[in-house]
Amino acid sequence: MKTKKQLYFALAGQANVGKSVIFNYLTSLHQHIGNWPGKTVEKAEGKLYYKGYTINILDLPGIYSLSTYSIEELVAREYIAVKKPDLVVNVVDITNLERNLIFSLQLLELERPIIIVFNMIDLAKKKGIEIDFKKLEQILSVPSMPTVASHGIGLSEVLDGAIELLQKRVLPQPLKFGEEVEKQIKELITVLNDVDLPYPKRWLSIKLLEKDKEVEKLIKDKKPAILKRVKELSLNLEKIHGHDSSVVIADERCHLVSRIIKKVVKITKPKKISFEEKLHIITTHRILGYFLMTAILGLMFLTIFTFGNWLSFLLEKVFSDWQIWWKDVFGNSILATLSWSAVESTLALIQIALPYILPFYLFLYLLEDLGYLARVSFLMDSFMHKIGVHGKACIPLLLGLGCNVPACLSCRIMETERERFITGFLTTFVPCSAVTVIIMGLVGKFVGISFAFGLYIFALLIIFILGRLALKFLPGETTELIMAMPDYKVPNIKTIILQTFFRLKEFIYIAAPLVIISGVIIKAIELAGWLNPIARLLSPITVNWLGLPVITGILLIFGLLRKEMILVMLAALLGTTDFAQVLTPPQMITLAIVAMFYIPCVATISALWKQFGWKKTVAVTLFKTVFAIGLGGIVFRLLTVFW
Amino acid sequence: MNEILLIKLQRGIEAKIISISGGRFASKRLADLGLTPGTKIKVLRRAPFFGPVEIEVRGSKLVLGRGLSAKILVKINEN
Repeated sequence: MKTKKQLYFALAGQANVGKSVIFNYLTSLHQHIGNWPGKTVEKAEGKLYYKGYTINILDLPGIYSLSTYSIEELVAREYIAVKKPDLVVNVVDITNLERNLIFSLQLLELERPIIIVFNMIDLAKKKGIEIDFKKLEQILSVPSMPTVASHGIGLSEVLDGAIELLQKRVLPQPLKFGEEVEKQIKELITVLNDVDLPYPKRWLSIKLLEKDKEVEKLIKDKKPAILKRVKELSLNLEKIHGHDSSVVIADERCHLVSRIIKKVVKITKPKKISFEEKLHIITTHRILGYFLMTAILGLMFLTIFTFGNWLSFLLEKVFSDWQIWWKDVFGNSILATLSWSAVESTLALIQIALPYILPFYLFLYLLEDLGYLARVSFLMDSFMHKIGVHGKACIPLLLGLGCNVPACLSCRIMETERERFITGFLTTFVPCSAVTVIIMGLVGKFVGISFAFGLYIFALLIIFILGRLALKFLPGETTELIMAMPDYKVPNIKTIILQTFFRLKEFIYIAAPLVIISGVIIKAIELAGWLNPIARLLSPITVNWLGLPVITGILLIFGLLRKEMILVMLAALLGTTDFAQVLTPPQMITLAIVAMFYIPCVATISALWKQFGWKKTVAVTLFKTVFAIGLGGIVFRLLTVFW
Repeated sequence: MNEILLIKLQRGIEAKIISISGGRFASKRLADLGLTPGTKIKVLRRAPFFGPVEIEVRGSKLVLGRGLSAKILVKINEN
């Protein structure tokens, strides 16, 4: 092998196999999380220096097959086949060996250098699963490495094995299917001989027999006549097997895998029900499960908000000292004031990120790594279906209670573009921690705590209604939930901390530009003395329709930056924190409702933009504004009748 | 007849998949996960309120939406 110091590895595997544990273990802080160009799919890249090599590792999204069911699957196979990384590292969860190997066979079909990492051998032992790795390696003719990634066991052997394999330059041999299937494949390979595409011919043939839409499109552009031949050959298979040819191919893989399993796996089921199994039974129980879910999530929110309020208050004090110091040093010139507002906007972001988003992500990743979130999806699936999405969507919605930005970004867990958008749209209606400050500080304190809780139920109702409406207006069928139920396991602290860190960084990166720019612009408007004129301009809406004081216009402008600014500015402009003196209860409730639903804050707009493009972002922003104002006016009128 | 839809299959009873209706899309997706005709399958539990089912197939636990489980026809093993 010529001395090539830069190596490119791709990590591929199904969800919950410990792929991200391996990725984080190997790359630690040398990683970068972004999006695939033009796609709402996350791209995690990292670097590792090992024995004189710079190894660039790409963590492909966790997927269950290499068909084109989801965008992730398409992205993953495109990367492996077209970008041709030096090596594919296939991570396999040994406690779910059979299902995982079906995917491994699909990877082998891509004919790139590959090693298979058999992870979680410690858990397999506990479950009484014994595997003959020598034999397995022989059958697959691919280096097979046992690991316990959560303890870093076996990972340097993986790297050594990888480098050794690359020096030998051996490509894997795809396993052979049954005779009839191979006959059709062989025939297709000859037909495809002069078609110039960056994929292996055998892989193209298999995918054509599987009726893969993307591959059919590729062939149609090159030599459409081939598709007719494909149809005939598929029909041959269907006649022999009695199933659709796509199922025939998948079935062939299943057969190959079950034969391998029979040869290499020995299971002696432990007699006792394990603790993890008991936990699973309790947390998915039809009554206890919901009870526990409410308790766990309730406790989580309580902890986060208690901690968040404490830290936020502390930071507020520190930052206000900084403002005084800034004034002392730079004076009161326009430039000094404007540049302070840029600093202030950045600090404001930190004031959300550290007290609220940080603990939120920590808890969430903890629950995910533990395996609990899959149980939440299981329990919530039927409710989520009522608003046109499946059970996994409850995770973004839950996150939304902390902050809408990570909630929007986490919509990536949904499979289709349509579901990502519905979920993202609905999360912007979830009252975030900033809105909670308003609801509690205004309605909870001055109208009554029951009204504050009433507002949450109201928000839930609105989300439900909007979900039903979105279902009507966005064509398409709700994708059914298909999810592996992971076993409970001890969470990996390093992975959780690293993931939280990179998410926090992502949050700052996405939100900062727009937040700083709008912070400076609003300050400039204030300095120019335009705030009051704008507020008067808005008065037909704020005063006549919503029944609120003129200054509401100013509040709503500041609320764009951070929604709790509405309350902060209200106190500043009125010179009192006793809001009962200046606002009637219906006015407070109306203001809270408008604050809850109007334009998403600037940071959320940035997240929407990144996730769904500017057209959808503008549409959502406009819709929310009109919706909130319309609703606010109606609620105000209804309330004043009864109050 | 002991052929029933997966959605109706009792907990803990072992059955074999006969066929999956509802278009190639669904059947291909399930086949990729190892749910092909002839595969042994067992219902572990159902979520309440007409929720999804948790099944055991090829040594793994999977959760399938209720709509999907109504498309899978299974045959209960005799013994």
